[in-house]
Amino acid sequence: MSKKLRIDTPIPITWCPGCSNFEILKAVKLTINNLLKKGEKLTNFAMVTGIGCHGKIFDYLNISGVYSLHGRPLPTALGIKIGNPNLKVIAFQGDGDVYAEGISHFIHAGKYNSDITLIVHDNQSFSLTTGQGTPTSQKGYKSKAEPFGKFGQPLNPIRLALASNASFVARANARDVEFTAEIIEKAIKHKGFSFVEIIQDCIVFNLDVNNRDKRMYKISNKKRTKKEAMKLADIYDYNLGKGKIPIGIFYSEKRKTFEEQWPQLQRLQKKKINWKNLKK
Amino acid sequence: MRLNILIGGEAGQGINKISEIVSDVLVSKGYYIFNYRDYPSLIRGGHNFNVLSISDKEIQSTESKLDGIVSMDRLTIIKHRKFLKKGGFIIKPDNFLNLGINLNVALAGALIRILGIEKKFLIKKVKAELNNKKSLNAAEKGFESQKSKYFLKNLKKKLILKSGSESIAQGFIDSKADLYFAYPMTPATPVLHLLAEKQEENNFLVFQPENEIAVANAALGASFSGAKVMVGTSGGGYDLMTETLSMQGMAELPLVVYLSSRPGPGTGVPTYTIQADLDVALRGGHGEFPRIVIAPGSPEQARQKTNEAFYLSQKFNALCILLSDKHLGESEFSFKEGKINPLKVQVKRKIPGKEIVKASSYEHDAFGFTTEEAFLTKKNAEKRILKYKNIQKEVKKFEMIKIHGKRNSKNLIIGWGSTTGAIIDAISDLDAKFLQVLYLKPLSNKIKEEMKKAKKIILVENNLTGQLGRIIREKTGIKIENRILKYDGKPFESDLLKEEIKKCLKN
Repeated sequence: MSKKLRIDTPIPITWCPGCSNFEILKAVKLTINNLLKKGEKLTNFAMVTGIGCHGKIFDYLNISGVYSLHGRPLPTALGIKIGNPNLKVIAFQGDGDVYAEGISHFIHAGKYNSDITLIVHDNQSFSLTTGQGTPTSQKGYKSKAEPFGKFGQPLNPIRLALASNASFVARANARDVEFTAEIIEKAIKHKGFSFVEIIQDCIVFNLDVNNRDKRMYKISNKKRTKKEAMKLADIYDYNLGKGKIPIGIFYSEKRKTFEEQWPQLQRLQKKKINWKNLKK
Repeated sequence: MRLNILIGGEAGQGINKISEIVSDVLVSKGYYIFNYRDYPSLIRGGHNFNVLSISDKEIQSTESKLDGIVSMDRLTIIKHRKFLKKGGFIIKPDNFLNLGINLNVALAGALIRILGIEKKFLIKKVKAELNNKKSLNAAEKGFESQKSKYFLKNLKKKLILKSGSESIAQGFIDSKADLYFAYPMTPATPVLHLLAEKQEENNFLVFQPENEIAVANAALGASFSGAKVMVGTSGGGYDLMTETLSMQGMAELPLVVYLSSRPGPGTGVPTYTIQADLDVALRGGHGEFPRIVIAPGSPEQARQKTNEAFYLSQKFNALCILLSDKHLGESEFSFKEGKINPLKVQVKRKIPGKEIVKASSYEHDAFGFTTEEAFLTKKNAEKRILKYKNIQKEVKKFEMIKIHGKRNSKNLIIGWGSTTGAIIDAISDLDAKFLQVLYLKPLSNKIKEEMKKAKKIILVENNLTGQLGRIIREKTGIKIENRILKYDGKPFESDLLKEEIKKCLKN
C-alpha cells in the first residue's frame, strides 16, 4: 500500500515574516486540497516556478515540478505539458519574472492556449534583489537602481493578457485567501491557458502600493466580451492614487487548446499515457 | 574517373531539380556522387550553384576544376568559365527558353545525354518525379539537343544518396525519439523540415516555439516529463540557449542539441559554412558541468552519432551536443549503406505522473529541495565531476576517433567534422594518414599516441584559429605547428587541399 501523500513539505519557509506570499501559498494549498477531495491525484500535478521571492513556493509544495530559470516558467510548463499532456501544469511567476525577463513567453502563451495555468505574484517590485522597479511598478517609484524614479506608465498585465488572447484572465487579492483559491480552482479547471494575476503587498520594498484592500471590489461572474473586459481592466492602471481595483474573472472563453490541435497529444490523452509508454 | 559539373542559375529557377534528377539516375547506375550546394541568403534571383561530382570510386568532396557547366542564366558562364578544364563542355539555356519552368528538366535531359546514359533512365526518373507531359517533353527535347561525350556504363554497386541533415533526422528516428523543438535558423532548418514532415507516421512531435530560449526551456520541461527530446539551431540561436544548457547541468535532465554552424560572429554569412563553433559547443553556459560533444564527418556517421547522443544523454542525464555545419548538413553524399543496429534509448530516470519528482536550477538535495549548504554544494559539484568520469569510461565503447588513409604513414593529418571528406579525398594517393576526431568531449587518449608515432603533423580545420588544435594542445601539451586553415565560408576543395598538404609535407 502506498502511503497517502500530503501537500506540505518539511522545508522551513524563508519569506519575510508577514509576507503575503504566505497567503498565496495558503490559497494554492486550499485549491489543490479541494481538487484532491474531488478525485484528483497529487502526483498528477506539475508545477514550474521562476526566480524571485515567488519561486520559493517550489520548496513548500509537495508537488512534482521544475524550479526553472528567471523568466522561463511558461516555456518550461508548455514543454512539461507536451512531454505529458495528462499532467495538470501550474506555473508560478513574479511580476519581474514574467513581465520583464519572460514577457515574450507570456504573450505567446495566450496565443498557444495550452491547457496550463499561470499564477503571478505581483508586488510591483523585484524584492529578492532588494527592491528595484519592475514593469508593473508605479510611475515615479524610486529604488537604489533608479534614483530618479520609474519613467513611463506601468504595464497593465490584464490588458496585455486580453490583447494576447489568453482564454482565461483573472485578478485576485493575496489577502483574500478564499476568493483567491476559488479563482485558482476555476483557472485550473479552465481548458486552455488561464492567467491569474494576484496583487500582493511587499512589506519591505515598494511600500507605497501596500494596503489597497479597501479599493478592491469583486466583479460579477457574468460572461463578458473582450471589449467589456478591456474596459474593466482599464479601471486600475497600477499607479498610486485613489480609484477602484476590480478583482475576479475578467474574461473566459472556450477555444481549441494547443493539445487538441496535435493528433499526437490527443492520442496520449485518450490512452492516458506518456511518451515513454507509447509503443513505436 | 571523376567529373565535376557545375549547375548554376538564379534562386528559384530550380537548379536543385537538375542535380536531383541526374544524381538519382547516376546513383541507381552505381556511381558515387558528391553534391556541393552554394547559395546566398535570398529567395529569388541572385546566383546559386551546385557542383555535382561523379565518380566510379568513393568521393566525399568538391573540387576546384570543372569538366562541365550547365547554365540556366548568362551569369553562371561568366562566373565559372575560368574554372572549366580544357575541352570542358557548357550547356546553355538558349534553346530551351520557351519551356518556362521546365527549363531545368530540359537541362537535366541534356546533361544525361552528355554523360552517355540511355534516355529510358531519364524518362523513368522524370515520370516518377513530375509526371506531366510538359516536363516529359522538356526532358526529351533536352536529351535530343546534345551528343554523348562520355559513356557511363552500369556499375554493379548498390548505393544510396543522403545529406547530413537527412541522416541526423534518421538518427533521431532510429533512437525512437519523441520531440524535436527548433526555431528556424540556417543551416539547421532542413532537419526541422524533414522531421516535421515525418512526425505523424513515426509517432513523434515537431514544434517551433517563439524563440530559441523557449525552445531550450520547453525541451527541458518535456525531458522532465519523460520524453526524449532534441533541439536544433545554429550559432546565434545556440547563444540564446546557453543559459538553459547551464540549467541542464544543474537539473540533470537529458538533452540532445543539434548545433549546425555557419560563419559568424554576429549574423555572419548565414548560408555558408565554417567550423568556428567548437569552442562554444565545448564551453557555452556558465558554471562547471559535464557535457558530451560529438562531431560526425559523413552522413553515415551523422546517423549513428545522433543515436549515440540520445543513448548517452539518457544514460547519464547529460547534455549531448551534435556539432555539424552547413557543409555536412546540406551536401549530398552517396555511399553503401551498412547494417544499422541502433542502440536502444531508454528513459530510466524518475518522471512525474505516478510519484513526486522535482528538478531544479538551484543547487538542491536528493529530493530536489533548494540548498545553500556548503557541504551539499561541494558534494554535488563533485558528483557532477564523477559523472563526467563515468561518461569518459562509457564513450570508449564508441568510435571516438577514426583513422583513414595509410595506417603506417609517419605523416599525420588531424581534423574533425565536415572536413573529413575533403581530407580523405586529398590524401588518397599521398603518403599520409588522417586522424578524424569524432568525440570532441571527452577527447580520446589515443590522439596523443597517434601524435607520438608521427614525424609530421598537420592540422586541417575550416576556421580561423585552429580550435581543435587548441584543445589537443590543452589535452596533450603538443602544439601542432603545421596548420591548413580555411575561413572564407566555403568548404575545402580536395584538389587544392592536396596541393597544400603536399607543400606542408615537403617543408
